Amino acid sequence: MRVALRPSPTAKIVDRVMRVVLWAIALMFVVVLVLFVGAILKQGWPVLNLGFLTKMPETLDAGGGIKPQIFNSLYLVALSLALSLPVGLGAGVYMAEYAGKGRALNFLRLCIETLAATPSIVLALFGMIVFVQTLGWSFSIRSGALTLALLNIPVITRVTELSLLAVPRELKEASYGLGATKLQTILKVALPYAATGILTGLVLTAGRAFGESAILVFTAGTNASAQFPDFRLTVPGETLSVHLWYVTSDGTLPDAREIAAGTAAVMILVLLSLNMLVRLVDRTIRRRTR
Amino acid sequence: MPDAPETALIAAPACRVGDSADSRVEANPSARTPTFRQSRAHRLMDRWANLAFLACSLLVVGLIGGILFFLASRGLAAFLPMAGNTGRTLAFSEVFLSADWAPSSDRFGILPFIAGSLGVTGLALLIAAPTGTLTGVFIAKLAPAWMRDLMRQVMDLLVGIPSVVYGIFGLTVVLPLVSRTWLGEAPASGFAVSAVILAVMIVPTIVSLSTDAFESLPSSLDEGAQALGSSRWQAIWHVLIPAARPRLITAAVLGLGRAIGEAMAVQMVIGNNPQWIALMRESTDRAPFLRALFTPAATLTTELVQELPNTPAGSPWNNVLFAMGLLLYLMTMVLILATRRLGHRKEA
Repeated sequence: MRVALRPSPTAKIVDRVMRVVLWAIALMFVVVLVLFVGAILKQGWPVLNLGFLTKMPETLDAGGGIKPQIFNSLYLVALSLALSLPVGLGAGVYMAEYAGKGRALNFLRLCIETLAATPSIVLALFGMIVFVQTLGWSFSIRSGALTLALLNIPVITRVTELSLLAVPRELKEASYGLGATKLQTILKVALPYAATGILTGLVLTAGRAFGESAILVFTAGTNASAQFPDFRLTVPGETLSVHLWYVTSDGTLPDAREIAAGTAAVMILVLLSLNMLVRLVDRTIRRRTR
Repeated sequence: MPDAPETALIAAPACRVGDSADSRVEANPSARTPTFRQSRAHRLMDRWANLAFLACSLLVVGLIGGILFFLASRGLAAFLPMAGNTGRTLAFSEVFLSADWAPSSDRFGILPFIAGSLGVTGLALLIAAPTGTLTGVFIAKLAPAWMRDLMRQVMDLLVGIPSVVYGIFGLTVVLPLVSRTWLGEAPASGFAVSAVILAVMIVPTIVSLSTDAFESLPSSLDEGAQALGSSRWQAIWHVLIPAARPRLITAAVLGLGRAIGEAMAVQMVIGNNPQWIALMRESTDRAPFLRALFTPAATLTTELVQELPNTPAGSPWNNVLFAMGLLLYLMTMVLILATRRLGHRKEA
């Protein structure tokens, strides 16, 4: 490496140019996001009204709504979170507090990373083989919720582990010093301290499950129940994201474009508000603990 | 009854500690003579809890094996005479080494999909890796605080947008736009648009990992370079990027993993044409590079989405589709192991 104690004139020019380039690249992503969200909302805006949100969908005629899909989305997200939370929390606690630093932890982390990186279409195939075909549950809410839980588990585990590792050591030592068992320390000291981090992670996991489609096409199906609200676990449960994909690729609806645009706008609005919620919670907590 | 006072002693400070961060260092004044023995019930519970947490972890390990087992049981059925198979048994070579995909006439070469997956992810990575890495270094080393904050939010939002919404954006905005402006109204589906959309989808992964990589470098590197008279960019290019290289490669590999497994967004814009290799070779209406970029194609994931629902279980066609899923899963495992390797080399 050639170095002079002061940058040469060419180096200065290169430096200036590259600064501009870096700013440009970063701003390009901001512009992409703004254009993206703007386009989706602009396309969906004319469709968005109370009728669209509260009507049942049509199969062949124009003018259908997305009421059952909204319900199914929320229902499936809630079910999958309820299924994956205990496992994810448990595995996260084990990794942070019990697993030590040896080969076992390494292997466990490898498994979590692999599960996190497994494409959702692969999880979809697994859910299809196991729940839909082998157990004979066909395309149903329960098949979908269980498979969707597989998507959530590694994320919750990771978030739990990281939040627990961020708990100050003195806190736990104080608890042990007072004679608490490990379980008591975890339940009453570490987890309450880590709760906000875990909660933030949960909201993000919910957002991811809300947007997931590949898994649900193959496990929860592309039909929504004609009843509303239908809490049965054995009926097919088409969610918003699956509906968006299905009307676009199926092409039997005359107003498929409008329905897809409206659904996309609803999804973006939901995710934007989830994001705001996370930041709001994050900020209030940071202010409180400061 | 020695249990009652002990539990009271244990519970009280714990509750207080959870409430405010200020009291966390002070011990409970009433605990001047702590008893370091736990009640039998608590010790028993402690042991059971250990087992419960271990069980959760083992479940995750079991899942990895379970996915492999079930995918293999269906995917390998294409090549082995298994109960439940309805068609003939295929040879490995006619599936993995043939580009001839015509399932209805009993020809099952999946090379077009492997090539399609590699092509579209390669192209996406070509866009996302440099821009993502540079954005990472920008956030970590150059950006003012407000810009750093803004970029973090932008990346959070980009990663949170569902793939079907990316797909519908590609389908209704990008494809018509590209077709109108550059192709004279010819359809624009194919590698180019899919790769651009994939690149936007994986950029947040690369940005956040490379930002971490640059932020974890010791500041002495940066300061040393500048003390020797290098400009900001020289320090970044000659010192920081080489120093962070293993973690930057890991970031790119993880981005690659995300891209190769993405199904819905790509399926909506790539055009879903298994015969794309032939079409690309034979059509003569456009310049070769335009043909390569804008010929409707297919990948492993898009073909699964496209055809799996329509094939009867146990048929060679269906089994081959599951074999494609198995291949995707094995690729994921290889990529994860590769990142492990990179991590170890960094420590050595």
